[in-house]
Amino acid sequence: MKLLGCEQEAGVIRAMQTGGWTEFLRLHVADCQDCSEALRLAEALRQEARRAERSCNPPDPYWILQRSRRMAREIAVRRMTLLLASMRALAAFYVVAAAGWLLRGYAALQFREAVSSISGASTWFALMGAMVAAVCVAAGLWPILHEDATRGKAGSVR
Amino acid sequence: MEDVRMIAAWTTPGREQTTAGEEGFMRLYEATSRPLWGYLQHASGRPDAADDLLQETYCKFLLSKAPAMDEAQTRSYLFRIATNLLHNRFRSREDAALEEPAECGAETDEAARLDVRAAMWRLKPRERELLWLAYVEGMSHAEIAAATGLGVMSIRILLYRARRKASGILRPQRTKS
Repeated sequence: MKLLGCEQEAGVIRAMQTGGWTEFLRLHVADCQDCSEALRLAEALRQEARRAERSCNPPDPYWILQRSRRMAREIAVRRMTLLLASMRALAAFYVVAAAGWLLRGYAALQFREAVSSISGASTWFALMGAMVAAVCVAAGLWPILHEDATRGKAGSVR
Repeated sequence: MEDVRMIAAWTTPGREQTTAGEEGFMRLYEATSRPLWGYLQHASGRPDAADDLLQETYCKFLLSKAPAMDEAQTRSYLFRIATNLLHNRFRSREDAALEEPAECGAETDEAARLDVRAAMWRLKPRERELLWLAYVEGMSHAEIAAATGLGVMSIRILLYRARRKASGILRPQRTKS
């Protein structure tokens, strides 16, 4: 008996499955305790497997295909929901940051100087653009947040 | 294996469902579902758990966007998914009855069958899996390693121990009878 079994064991199991017994393997199994033990166990298990296969009635594959397609759709929806949620968070952050900057008056005080020092029409347009964008994002965000708040209230009432 | 690509396309949302993909899956299912069910039933000890796990295995396979694989690799991949699902189930103890084998079918009076089943049930889940993959599925140590996520050397040692243990349990029972 070896520490990790016999080197011929794989060959014996393969021969049992394929029926490809050689004289050498037959003699070896008769002599080797490891291999004869493995062979007995493999035969018992394979008999058990044949019985199990006979009583097996696997589910309809078409149903599995439909289920996996439904799961794929759910995963896609979850991904999109996550993307939309992160966009919403970014939008909210942008509105808060822009509002804070404007309200502190920094822009109001520095606006003329900044515009005159850089003296570019592009800077003026960029600042105006940022403000318009903030207003647009806030306007777009308002109904979503309002809807969330309404849904939250309805949930807590229930 | 072109079938696997077509099968993956079948489950991708927004893509047209092709008959070829569906037929490919049917062929794969026909070839692999019974051995896989036998493995799951033997390792879990319950036919109903085997049904659930079989469905989950194929769903996971279809959603996995697997690269092109030949038949042997696909089979090994399916067994790997099934093994992982089995382990998750054992870990979460989702099904408390998994701890005991459930008898089913009309052949329960066969002494030999009970011997093997009872003996297997005294082994650890990992040992049952290894013995089944090696002796029923005829997988090599490398294939078992791919299916279970263990190293080839560990497979050799664990399989040897599992076999010794199973034979030790079976031998006294046989001697008594």
